[in-house]
Amino acid sequence: MASMGHNNLNAKLVLLGDMGAGKSSLVLRFVKGQFLEFQESTIGAAFFSQTLAVNEATVKFEIWDTAGQERYHSLAPMYYRGAAAAIIVYDITSTDSFARAKKWVQELQKQGNPNMVVALAGNKADLEDKRQVTAEDPVTWQLPFDALEEARVYAEGNGLFFMETSAKTAANVNDIFYEIGKDRIGALSCVEGNDGFSIFHEDDLAGSAKRLPRAQPAQNPAGMILVDRPAEGSRASSCCA
Amino acid sequence: MYGTQSRRDLALEFQAHMPILRPSIHARRANLTVKFQDLYGFTVEGNVDDVNVLNEVREKVRQQGRVWWTLEANKGANWYLQTIVSSTLKSSLKFSALANAITLKRLIRKGIPPVLRPKVWFSLSGAAKKKSTVPESYYNDLTIAVEGRVTPATRQIDHDLPRTFPGHPWLDTPEGHATLRRVLVGYSFRDSDVGYCQGLNYVAALLLLVMKTEEDAFWMLAVLLENVLVNDCYTTNLSGCHVEQRVFKDFLLKKCPRIAAHLEDLEFDVSLVATEWFLCLFSKSLPSETTLRVWDVLFYEGAKVLFHVALAIFKMKEEELLMSHQVGDVINILQKTTHHLFDPDELLTVAFDKIGSMTTTTISKQRKKQEPAVMAELDQRLRRLNSLNE
Repeated sequence: MASMGHNNLNAKLVLLGDMGAGKSSLVLRFVKGQFLEFQESTIGAAFFSQTLAVNEATVKFEIWDTAGQERYHSLAPMYYRGAAAAIIVYDITSTDSFARAKKWVQELQKQGNPNMVVALAGNKADLEDKRQVTAEDPVTWQLPFDALEEARVYAEGNGLFFMETSAKTAANVNDIFYEIGKDRIGALSCVEGNDGFSIFHEDDLAGSAKRLPRAQPAQNPAGMILVDRPAEGSRASSCCA
Repeated sequence: MYGTQSRRDLALEFQAHMPILRPSIHARRANLTVKFQDLYGFTVEGNVDDVNVLNEVREKVRQQGRVWWTLEANKGANWYLQTIVSSTLKSSLKFSALANAITLKRLIRKGIPPVLRPKVWFSLSGAAKKKSTVPESYYNDLTIAVEGRVTPATRQIDHDLPRTFPGHPWLDTPEGHATLRRVLVGYSFRDSDVGYCQGLNYVAALLLLVMKTEEDAFWMLAVLLENVLVNDCYTTNLSGCHVEQRVFKDFLLKKCPRIAAHLEDLEFDVSLVATEWFLCLFSKSLPSETTLRVWDVLFYEGAKVLFHVALAIFKMKEEELLMSHQVGDVINILQKTTHHLFDPDELLTVAFDKIGSMTTTTISKQRKKQEPAVMAELDQRLRRLNSLNE
């Protein structure tokens, strides 16, 4: 659920993805700025919160870091129910984990909150020599779509934010949360439907708009933004190497 | 090769080398967070009060040890095995068995001394009986037979070995990993429906620290999954776990109605936190000695203990929980509480004296009631997911 005070936004965020893709490591990096080579395996899910300043506003993320083993899949709805955002994590050195990520995307598209913003994170980007899932060729990424490669094409096609991240080097970790935060602030300044989002009164909206000069007021209901977003999202986050 | 070198009583070793903890005067003054190793070698962070509590717990463990030794001296070494009241016994014997049973139940709730745990757990849980129904060489043969086999389960186990209590002075060593691996891989072949489920790594690891041999740890794991806990707790869709969560929610509503109502208002689903408690049997949330005190009772009284303990954690913090306004607050309260429960009696007193009775029969009935709903839900979900792929 996401709800907003004058310039503070609470956003429930869920991390989904294959076992060992690095979900907990991303969270640990984001929340505590740490990295552990061996992170305890998560059972059920673990909860964290972290507040991020986005322009003039703050976004408090309430993060559910879920267990990755396939059989834990049956618990996932409890964690993504009412979430304002999801990060689906795969390991760039594992095509299996990318396949799993696609399944999560499908599931969220069908079952999740339609207003949810979904980001795809290709984690372990520091392990370039072991890469199995291609993102794009840094030289050619400005070429037309057909020159783009697997992960980004997939993200573009499905309306997802996409970034390659490394919990180990911290590359793009804060950025992906920042982009989500920015998006949520934009999305929430319009009136939402009944999917766990707060509906704002006129004066609330006016108040927050004054304090958030850079937040983009959404043109469409948030659920429809997803279709247009990938291009912006991916350009904003082109530093994958 | 197989396991003999790891037949060491880690618990004993740790206790022997563990000096009484004395926080420095500076730590006392500043109320700093100190790091220390607990009875089973886990690194714990706590404040000075926690250290003091832990020292008191150690003293209580020693006293409890003396009680058990005295009983052994008076009643014989295996007195606790003579607690089964059989109708063929003479009435005087029956009476002594019953008296023993009552003493034993009370005694176990007060804690089994760490040195006696392997023996008492093994007998009272039914693990000894289970082991006795197969040839002596069962575990040895099993580990040899499955060596070198690669399955999805073994891959996942290998992945989790260094992620199971990382940093523990024995578990996180090549020997610790190899031993834990044999137990988990062995079990994955014993029951292919379970295979390997994340969570079992923590349970098996703690069993290894307590039991004297990996073989006994294996049998404890077997009896736990096959007899003590609800069926299908760890199998492919965790259906048993879903059932337990529903039963737990019903109990919370009955036993702690104010908390249940408040959490409902916050749209806080208690399974968000309780799932891990039930799957790891509290080993990831409670300090080690407190977890093992829960397990003492679990192996004797059965899975109802998990409900008692989970309810107690909520009950202990009733007032604080009722004041919370956000999901995050609720989780913080519960996490802070569980991580600092260094005094097992503080928890178990609430669990057994303040929750009221829950019989195994009641729980079985509740499970039966919830099963169809869980099955329908899982089935519906599966069908929906399959339709996504078409």
